[in-house]
Amino acid sequence: MVEQKLSVPRYWRRTPQYYRLEGVQCVKCGRVYYPPRAVCECGSREFKPYPLPSTGKLLNFTVLYSVPAEFEKMKPLIIGIVDLGGVRVIGQIVDCMNPEKLNPGMEVEVVFRTVKMDGTYGLINYGYKFRPIENC
Amino acid sequence: MFNTTEVYIVAHSLVSGGRHYEKGLKELFAEAFLKVLDQVGNSNLGAVYVANAFSEVLQDQSVLGAFLSDYVGLRRTPAIRIESGDGSSGVAILEAYNMVKAGVYDCVAVVGVEKMHDVTSIKLNKALATITDYEYEGFFGITPAAQAAMAMREYMLKYGYDYEDLASWPIKMHERGSKNPYAYMRKQATLKDVLESEVIADPLRLYDAAPAVDGSAAVVLCNKPLRSDAVVRIDGIGIGAYGTYMGQRDTLTELLSVKDAVNMALGMAHSSIGDVNLVEVHDTYSILGILALESMGFVRPGETPRLLSTGALDAGNKLVVNASGGLKSMGFPGGASGMYEIVSMVMELTNQKPFDSLGNAGLGVVQDMAGFDLVSTAIVLRRVT
Repeated sequence: MVEQKLSVPRYWRRTPQYYRLEGVQCVKCGRVYYPPRAVCECGSREFKPYPLPSTGKLLNFTVLYSVPAEFEKMKPLIIGIVDLGGVRVIGQIVDCMNPEKLNPGMEVEVVFRTVKMDGTYGLINYGYKFRPIENC
Repeated sequence: MFNTTEVYIVAHSLVSGGRHYEKGLKELFAEAFLKVLDQVGNSNLGAVYVANAFSEVLQDQSVLGAFLSDYVGLRRTPAIRIESGDGSSGVAILEAYNMVKAGVYDCVAVVGVEKMHDVTSIKLNKALATITDYEYEGFFGITPAAQAAMAMREYMLKYGYDYEDLASWPIKMHERGSKNPYAYMRKQATLKDVLESEVIADPLRLYDAAPAVDGSAAVVLCNKPLRSDAVVRIDGIGIGAYGTYMGQRDTLTELLSVKDAVNMALGMAHSSIGDVNLVEVHDTYSILGILALESMGFVRPGETPRLLSTGALDAGNKLVVNASGGLKSMGFPGGASGMYEIVSMVMELTNQKPFDSLGNAGLGVVQDMAGFDLVSTAIVLRRVT
């Protein structure tokens, strides 16, 4: 039996977010939240799912060289804050061989990638990452 | 009932941060705790508050308080472990203060303890990532260093600074640390050292990060002072919060939880920013120290690097920032780091070596924070005699 490091239910219950970037929109005031939450700033507790747009703009980023254990083989990671239709999401920027070409304001699109895996035979966690639309 | 109990810090101690491979959490805790116990003699400690962030992740130990207090012979004294990430200490002080203030206990001990070097650095990174929103930040590899790096980038762009300008923080902190026998980093750093250090998360470099250490520090709070000279009283204590997910923040250059915490603390102390002579900020990363100072209102936004480099925040000025050398010099013992700040501030206010040249500073503020602007505390300490 392989030691299971990644939890199935913990991952599975978040697939709407990890796979489709599903936020929530307040039914009363229209505010959109990512990640989802239970109570809106207006006090309402009624939300409907709100998938975020799949393109947006890079706002800020860093090239992270000192990474947590499960990302050791992927380092360095580019971490960025992205504006997707007015909602800010933080995540990895991928497919960029020259991070010095990254600039705030750059167009990015959402891509679906492997986030981490549990050894050779274990679970694979997938999720969203962001890719600059122009060559980078 | 009208309660007018005052709360005093009657004893303090610290174990210098380091790589204490031969000591576990219990030994480190005992070393700091027994020193304060000896200082207070027969004072009856009603409870012990333990500030610790990572014992589950790093030592596979929960219910930490019980195991630590039993080790020092306090089998029947309740020990309450407080976990609020790297801001655990301030919250522990707040809880302990409240119990004394409310008259539940006459005296309580607060001990911060953390062992960061029981695991390798990549495992430690994983533990530190638990300070982020793990489902939406840590899951994707985001760490506190990445968050601080993005705040640093925003700060540099907003105020037109180069990396060299912000190097004034580590250089100053090393300079202070070189004169502090309790510090972990006791050598001076040059601009060249800082600029040539490894990049952790661009633009953040190794010298911008407080070095992880094992450590423990303790104080005893009582409802009356145990001596007549060099008495330090807690005049105000405040706590603030400001959301979690990084994407929900309009700006990364203001720490609103810190602002709320200090306003609450100063209000309670009937004091204002201008009355404060000494401040110790939670500089796990240079930028977080800078932002804390500016968010509290001690320095105008964008001015800190300039003021630091001109020496305007050194000893001899109206306001002295991190006379201890901050966490950059003292080291970063996770949830115990705020206790190092508190103990340093007590020594500063009472002019103990190496702080005997600070003069008659009467009022000090200690700021502690969990993660990036998650939960912050501010503690106003006054030397009353």
